Amino acid sequence: MIGTSIALEELERDALTELVNIGVSRAAVSLRTMVGEQVFLSVPSLQVVDRVMAAALIRERECDSLIAVRQDFEGAFSGRALLIFPEANSLELVRAVTSGELSGKEAQEIEEEALLETGNIVLNGCLGTIANMLRKPLTISLPQLLRGDSQQLFNVSTSLTDHGVVLFLYINFAISDRDIRGYIAMIMDLPSLQTLKVLIAEFIEHIIGPEGVAHEG
Amino acid sequence: MRSLCGTLLDSLARSGQAVAVVDHRAAGSPLIFVNAAFEQLTGYRDHEVLGRDWRFLRSADADPAAIAALEAAVAEARPVTVELRDVRKNGEVFRDRLHITPIHDETGAAVFLLSMHSDVTVEPDRPESGSRPEALHEQPGVATEHARRAGTVSRASGGWEWDVPGRRLYADARFAELYGLAPGAAAGGLPTDTFFAPVHPADRMRLRIAVAGIMHGADIFAKEYRIINPDGSVRWVAARGSSRRGADHELLSFEGILTDITDQKRVEEQLRIVQTAGGVGTFEHVSGFGTVTVSDQFCRLLGLHACEALPVRTVNAVVHPDDPPLIGGQDDDSSYREFRVVHPETGEVRWLARRGEHRDEGHALGVRFIGAIYDVTAAKEAQEKLRQFAETLEARVRERTKERDRVWNNSRDLLAVVGEDGILRSVSPSWTEILGYRPDELAGRHAFELLHPDDVAMSQAAFRAAVHDHGLTDFETRLLHRDGTTRWTSWHTSHEDGLVFAYGRDITLEKARAEDLHRAEEQLRQAQKMEAIGQLTGGIAHDFNNLLQAVYGNLDLIRRKPQDSTRVGRWAENGLQAAERGVKLTAQLLAFSRAQRLELRPVAISALLRGMEDMLTRTLGPMVRATFDLLEGEHGVFADPTQLEMAVLNLAINARDAMPEGGHLTIETRLHSVVHDLELAPGGYLALRVIDDGIGMPPEVKARAFDPFFTTKDVGKGTGLGLSQVYGMVRQAGGATRIESTPGKGTAVTLLLRLAELASGAALSGEEGRADDTTAKAATVLVVDDDPDVRCFLANSLATLGYLVVEAKDGHTALQALDEANPDLMLVDFAMPGMNGAQVASIARTRRPDLPIVFASGYADTAEIDAVGMGTAVLRKPFRIEELEAAIVSALARD
Repeated sequence: MIGTSIALEELERDALTELVNIGVSRAAVSLRTMVGEQVFLSVPSLQVVDRVMAAALIRERECDSLIAVRQDFEGAFSGRALLIFPEANSLELVRAVTSGELSGKEAQEIEEEALLETGNIVLNGCLGTIANMLRKPLTISLPQLLRGDSQQLFNVSTSLTDHGVVLFLYINFAISDRDIRGYIAMIMDLPSLQTLKVLIAEFIEHIIGPEGVAHEG
Repeated sequence: MRSLCGTLLDSLARSGQAVAVVDHRAAGSPLIFVNAAFEQLTGYRDHEVLGRDWRFLRSADADPAAIAALEAAVAEARPVTVELRDVRKNGEVFRDRLHITPIHDETGAAVFLLSMHSDVTVEPDRPESGSRPEALHEQPGVATEHARRAGTVSRASGGWEWDVPGRRLYADARFAELYGLAPGAAAGGLPTDTFFAPVHPADRMRLRIAVAGIMHGADIFAKEYRIINPDGSVRWVAARGSSRRGADHELLSFEGILTDITDQKRVEEQLRIVQTAGGVGTFEHVSGFGTVTVSDQFCRLLGLHACEALPVRTVNAVVHPDDPPLIGGQDDDSSYREFRVVHPETGEVRWLARRGEHRDEGHALGVRFIGAIYDVTAAKEAQEKLRQFAETLEARVRERTKERDRVWNNSRDLLAVVGEDGILRSVSPSWTEILGYRPDELAGRHAFELLHPDDVAMSQAAFRAAVHDHGLTDFETRLLHRDGTTRWTSWHTSHEDGLVFAYGRDITLEKARAEDLHRAEEQLRQAQKMEAIGQLTGGIAHDFNNLLQAVYGNLDLIRRKPQDSTRVGRWAENGLQAAERGVKLTAQLLAFSRAQRLELRPVAISALLRGMEDMLTRTLGPMVRATFDLLEGEHGVFADPTQLEMAVLNLAINARDAMPEGGHLTIETRLHSVVHDLELAPGGYLALRVIDDGIGMPPEVKARAFDPFFTTKDVGKGTGLGLSQVYGMVRQAGGATRIESTPGKGTAVTLLLRLAELASGAALSGEEGRADDTTAKAATVLVVDDDPDVRCFLANSLATLGYLVVEAKDGHTALQALDEANPDLMLVDFAMPGMNGAQVASIARTRRPDLPIVFASGYADTAEIDAVGMGTAVLRKPFRIEELEAAIVSALARD
């Protein structure tokens, strides 16, 4: 389990949540542009857990096999970001992002591509926003598609020695009246999390100011 | 309208906010849409209100000023918020906070009015800001945004708009109220920092971060935080907001709705505590949905991580596969349900129970199920233990039953269960072996059917006793085997629950053995009797030879010298004395045969015992010293003197035999008084004791000492009749016998005899009948005897005595003579061939009822003689002429 040292303080978690919130809002704007329809994303809820826990959290919530878009990031802090959907939701997502103009067969054919593109938009939106807000550039790899259960997605069995933590975010998408739920998971090692904590503290100070006065705009 | 509002209106309609749409340009300004919340608020169904003038709700006493403000705003197509008194369908007046917004089309024309209603009647202590309801917020932009904003929130309570470029915060009256602001000032715009001013310091930073998120590009905003009221009290509020951006995504405004959730928080907190403390998890599921709204405790109970919603499949996957699912399943009723859950990580199995209720809220969606779950493992375990206990108990009972069955099946005894009606309910297999019937042939038959005919009545009575009184013990009865042969059985019964349980044993063999034994004993007894007779006859022959020698010799001397009158007299006297001894001897023999009539009369005991001294001394022999220790004076006891003599003689002989080496015999008499005794009537008794210092008797011998034919003597040495004769005689005389004996020390037998008054001279028998010779003269006596010698002697004797004599040799002749000679008396022998004396006497009596009859008998069945009736006398042979004469005289005198 996670020791208290690596757990984020409430304020830091709030701030990180806001960062992701901003990120997914930007992603939603991008999606909106792409889809041409309203895209709503819920305010994410964030937990910092270890990999086993992250796998358990998803397993409990999702019985079906999963599909995920993965992007690795590198910079002041490094790690791996995952956008995870229940596999059953993936075609819905594909239809949504393709404005429902495709038949089931066509949608299946371009599923992978559509999912990768969607994942790229969302994850890039998040990671990019966080990088911008924290003013630390990140190098983001090309997206990859993964399938499997939560254990496999989090490499639980093979990474027992790696005490990496997972920033686990739960988001509801509503695209074209379709309810699609998904998860964003950012897997980082402890040094990266420490760095992130420092950056977030700076960010808080920056946006609120030492006197607690917000710098608006 | 839908094209104008799109999904926004749908969302609004689905929200808890009461919403109506008015076509204000049509005639009568009809309502064209109301939502469910509106129906709930007003009590009207949509078909009742659609088409009606939207103003119909107003109460008659609605504030005219508010109405005026409202109408003016509507006429100018600008938003307005007023409070009016409106009337529900049921007549109830409520304070309706009415918020009206025109809906514009592309051309900017107001085509519909959107009105939102909320009941503010119950809101407590509302500061009457401005003291009157009034249009609070008349800025067109803000009001328009309210309508839009309503799409993103479920409950509009207080609204705000943060004008980002203008750096001003606008808010409505409710927001102002919650924030403790002056309503007028809030509507007019305030510095944006006002948004954070009353916020609890602990929440302020979090709120700032969230707002910063909006300022930096986040679309949506949702925060719960605390506000400190001017009076210091704290309220929880939920703020839900969103950003509005221009064409270039520049932030125009940040708007939202603020809801007071203090009560909700408190209730939530209470609920949380209740759930945690009570271990109760709650959930809510709408049928058809794939997810369940759950409480933290719910998740904990299932071993899942806390969250707000879980897929139904996840929830049910935790439930043991053999148990009903937690959610849904067949017949998903609200009834109690129990199931096991397997902890996803630890594998621990716990029992949970579910209860809940269906809430049909008229949703198109489906039926809402609100339920609770709680842990019942402890109860289940207790239940399981109880079940196991019951099971082992059952097993034990089964085992016991098996044992009982084994007993039932293998028993060699007859086991049966019988109804109170006597019908056999079931019988054990042993019946087949013993009685030849199979158990199934007997079940249902009457038990009495098997009885030996002679035993039916007795057995039925016994069975009644077994049912009504007490169980039978060793009840013996005969049953018939299938082949008709008889089986002796012995029964025990117990009676329980209307059934008689009978345990029978086949004792046929034992019975046969007992019978054999009895026969053998009888044979032995017979043999002993014969032996005894042999012994007796031997002894008697010897004695008789002696006394006959004396009689013979004296008579011979008389015949040789008849002239020597002095010596003849002495010889005759000697002969008579010898004959006298013979009389005593035969009397003893008769007593021994017990055929003699017991003649109970007062007997002078001391005289009797003294009289026996010679005989006893002779009988006991030289080895035994006899002592008489008798009471002073004479005492009478109730007894038959002959029998008593016999008894004493028997006791003396026993004592002698108990002292094979010789010893000391004491015969003593003592007075004995009885006050209370089982055997004896109260009164005075004489104790006659015969005491020896011989070998004594062990207890088992002592116990049987008085049994007939019981003897400890070797075969040929005794008859076993001695003590039994003593006992019988004494009991008949109203006395009792006691025996004391110690092995090696000796034996004392006590005869307790009733004391009796002695008539003077009564003890002297045979003397009272003597009469004057002359009185009987000339009487005719019919003498009947089959023995010619005796008949001749009798005839001669009677002739000598002066009687006329008629002789008859048998009964037939006697009866003939009776008619011909007309005798005055009949002297008849008892034992005769053909008719015996008693029979002759009976017939004679029918002809001559007054005829005196004297029986002369050596052996007399006293009962038969008694049957002849009055007027008879018995003369025991042998008798002397004097005795004959006395009897004749006495009988004739009685006549």
